[in-house]
Amino acid sequence: MGLSFDLGSPINTALLLYILYSIQRIFFPTISTPSELPHEFKSGYSWIPESHPPTLLYKTYTPKTLEPFHGRDGGRILLAINGIVFDVTAGRSFYGPDGMYGNFAGRDASRGMAKQSFDMEMLTPIDQPLDKLTDLQADEIENMKGWIDHFSNKYIICGELVENGAA
Amino acid sequence: MAIADYLVTDDLTILLGLIAVTVFLLHNLYKPQPLVHPILLGRQSDVGRVRNPGESALYRNYNTGLLGRFAVRPEKDINVLSDIVKSDFDTPRTLWSSKISNAQLKERISAFGSGLVQFAGLVPHEDNVLLLLNDSLEFLISDFALASHSIPSFTISSPSLLSPVLESHPPSAIITHARFLPHILELIYDAHESEHHTIIVVGDFDPNAVGKAGDVIKVVKWTDVESAGANGEKITSATPSPDDVFTVSFFASDTGQLQSAHLTHANFTAGIAAVRAMLPLSKGIGSLDTIASAHSLSTSFGRTVAYTAILEGCSFATLDSTQLFHIEDAMLENNVADILSATKLSIPSPTILFIKAAHLQSLSSSITAEAKKSFLLYSFANRHKLAGMAEGFITNDSLWDRMVFHAARFAVLGDYANSIRTVVVSGPIESSYLTPARVALSVPLVNSHTHPLAAGPLFATYPSDVQTFPVPSQHTTDPFAHIAHVGSPSTNVEAKLVGVNDESIENGMDPVGVLMVRGPSIGRVLGVGEASYVEVPSSSDEGWVGTGEKAKILANGAFKILAGRK
Repeated sequence: MGLSFDLGSPINTALLLYILYSIQRIFFPTISTPSELPHEFKSGYSWIPESHPPTLLYKTYTPKTLEPFHGRDGGRILLAINGIVFDVTAGRSFYGPDGMYGNFAGRDASRGMAKQSFDMEMLTPIDQPLDKLTDLQADEIENMKGWIDHFSNKYIICGELVENGAA
Repeated sequence: MAIADYLVTDDLTILLGLIAVTVFLLHNLYKPQPLVHPILLGRQSDVGRVRNPGESALYRNYNTGLLGRFAVRPEKDINVLSDIVKSDFDTPRTLWSSKISNAQLKERISAFGSGLVQFAGLVPHEDNVLLLLNDSLEFLISDFALASHSIPSFTISSPSLLSPVLESHPPSAIITHARFLPHILELIYDAHESEHHTIIVVGDFDPNAVGKAGDVIKVVKWTDVESAGANGEKITSATPSPDDVFTVSFFASDTGQLQSAHLTHANFTAGIAAVRAMLPLSKGIGSLDTIASAHSLSTSFGRTVAYTAILEGCSFATLDSTQLFHIEDAMLENNVADILSATKLSIPSPTILFIKAAHLQSLSSSITAEAKKSFLLYSFANRHKLAGMAEGFITNDSLWDRMVFHAARFAVLGDYANSIRTVVVSGPIESSYLTPARVALSVPLVNSHTHPLAAGPLFATYPSDVQTFPVPSQHTTDPFAHIAHVGSPSTNVEAKLVGVNDESIENGMDPVGVLMVRGPSIGRVLGVGEASYVEVPSSSDEGWVGTGEKAKILANGAFKILAGRK
């Protein structure tokens, strides 16, 4: 019994076309560059990210300009210790409006950090000069410095705090 | 049934079906793996989270990271220059045309050093010596000898700087070639000379020409100094500290002003560590390699490449274009002929080339022109190479290489075509010839950026990075559009841009500004003259050094730097 070859049958034609197409793709690979630069590494080897990694601008804040960053509106949360302003948005659960330490958001928290207290008395009203911290004991100052180290490692230093008229 | 009639299968169907399956698997699964994972190429630098107003954030190499420590030395015990010539490495290697082992090299260095102190009468810590030599073994021996006795050496990057340097920093001694001697003597007469000079001459000179020098200038032969030191008593000085400045490299800024870079032992050991880090660990520089460099030993980077070669035990030579001092007005161009000039020396075929952008351009156009001679095959081969690069893969041993490119490379480079395994290019490469160069060479190509102030490279790309970005059309005013990026900062360098437009950065544009760098391989710059080196609105304290070059940072952390100088 001889082999039967019928090129005209649809299946054979379809397979043949597919084979020819694939062979053509193998021998003549496409080298056209995509019209738009890919922004994902999965979309292409020559890709570039859509945007730069986010960076914060180091700013000088006063008690009045720092206060809006209390996070109650869902925005950034900043707090200051000893004149250094930290961006604690990552710790919204602690420093946000519902957090345990929410009192400190947008304020100078130096005294509270030193005395290990979150009461409202630790905070100086915004329109008054900054808390000079002169009446703190040495161990309280040490405690505050320890908190500064903790914050420096965990959060981003993004500015400094100066008196209301000085910025 | 009508449908059954259409779906008739026969033996041809089975055959075609098998072929179709094979072809399908071949086409879809046989995709080459990228040499560098594209995730890494999207994040080449580690970026700081905060930036000062008017400045960009801090950028460091991703592998070092923002918290990593900078490598200051390539290995634990390499602290000063003399440690680079390792005593436990026995195999001789060829430096330019001399086959020499480390033990012999150390002996010659100590002989020359003793000769300098005794015979030529140089005083450690007080005297300084101007090295006016073309790159050669004598340059290296003099360099190591001076460093071991803590006698600072001066080098100049171009002969036009000679008279300003002689006027502002008169050295106690000059080491130069015999054929340059009359010129030097003339210059010394022209400048005021109340100091004693000693001139050590490499090669034979005419004693009569020297006769009129009188008692003020003492001219001796280099070989005499070395033999005096070898035969006399060995003088050893105290080991210098790594932070001692042992060389001052004079170069011209882009405004033509004379600048000097004060480099310490630590700068060079950090530079060597950075050069080693440019190549991957598995294919790094080893003792079987031969390095050919287009960077003159009178520049800081050129010296670092030479020191790296000596540390690793490679053979080493520099190309003809590094010759700074030649009486004939021969135009030494940076092209293929220059690369082939190393064939005159007796080094083995180079495996690693440290060349400049013009060399690369010349190489790529010559090889491509040669390859185009086999017209039909070339277009095929080129197409497949580009398709491979679109997947991130390139090799110099594929079918297409064997059919087309090997012959082309051999026709252009001769024996070097088979031996070259990595090329490091310094200087801005234009995107127009980057891809053809990658196809033509098909070896790992590192695009780096160097500066006379820094002993090591400042920026370098991944060696196997073959990303191709679209080149914009000719009419764009952006000066950065046509040059390729130079990658991220080197492993022990951190960089930032100053003078940037804050608003455009906040809107997500690429930062553009003046480049400032900091790191253990960067020397201190002192401007000679009234004007300061670079007017930038930022601190020059805290160790930041301004390079005076405009740069732009891409979103993947790679930098594009405009050539401030040639």
